[in-house]
Amino acid sequence: MSLRTSSRELATASVSVGAAITVFGAVYGATAAPLLGGRLTLVSSVLVFSGAAQFTMVALAANGAGTAAILGAVTLLGLRHLPLGALVRQRITSGRGRRAFLSWFLVDETASLSISLGHPAERTLLISGVVAYLAWLGGTAVGVAGVSVAAVEPLAEVLFPVLFVGLAALTAADRDDVLRAVGAALATGAVIWLWPQAGAPAAVAMALGMAVPRRRR
Amino acid sequence: MTATPVLWVAIITVATRLAAVAFLPPPEGRLAQVVARLPAPLFGALAAYSLLGSGGEVDVPMLVGVGCAVLATRSRSLLVVLAAGIGGFLLADLVW
Repeated sequence: MSLRTSSRELATASVSVGAAITVFGAVYGATAAPLLGGRLTLVSSVLVFSGAAQFTMVALAANGAGTAAILGAVTLLGLRHLPLGALVRQRITSGRGRRAFLSWFLVDETASLSISLGHPAERTLLISGVVAYLAWLGGTAVGVAGVSVAAVEPLAEVLFPVLFVGLAALTAADRDDVLRAVGAALATGAVIWLWPQAGAPAAVAMALGMAVPRRRR
Repeated sequence: MTATPVLWVAIITVATRLAAVAFLPPPEGRLAQVVARLPAPLFGALAAYSLLGSGGEVDVPMLVGVGCAVLATRSRSLLVVLAAGIGGFLLADLVW
């Protein structure tokens, strides 16, 4: 069996990923624009290209979190690039300069395609990455343009917790992950209920506490 | 919200990607364990925080929406979870 991914297989996978990313981009654009303004929302998608980071940033800002809490949460989210990048890097034979260029396209979806679709990973990452990036920008633009047409504000409040529930489910690989996610949610809820001023730093601290493995005696 | 936090978010995100693909060796040992375990509890904590908001109060339609989203997580589809959560919220908002 050939290890080369056929062009059709790559195109199909990239377009599918791109379609989903366009939808999420539109959701992001519609919910971020009232907070950031249309222009800054578009700029954020151009510069960041990360749904998880951007949704987290906007959700925390909408709930009154300070810059430190936002950057703390985004930094913790960014740590997941380490194992993802390591897996993709194993499959890339290019030099450091080209790897640095390709790193721009490292998002969960493109990394998964690069790892699962076979060689050459550079081509898969580049093509799926370009499609994903254009889809994200296009979706964001659609969402920003739609703000003045649809009344999204009532939905925006429920969208963030629902989105994070979905992301928690997607990133939970096994039962232990589910228990850690539930535990972090309950702990955060308890802390904020008892001490509302604890805010976003409490959420980040609870998550980190759940993620640290207990030392075996 | 100003552009400064957005710029820092961009710098952090790009820097972690760059480091992971171009410079750093793969994480090992305890750090690797923490990194691998982090995403799910982080999103769980953020779900609770964004549900309660900074005031610590819960809106019933939002609770219903989040409850529907939790039930839909078995589908392992983000689109299904979003649709279930928003649908549950809209329904509860009509009734409540």
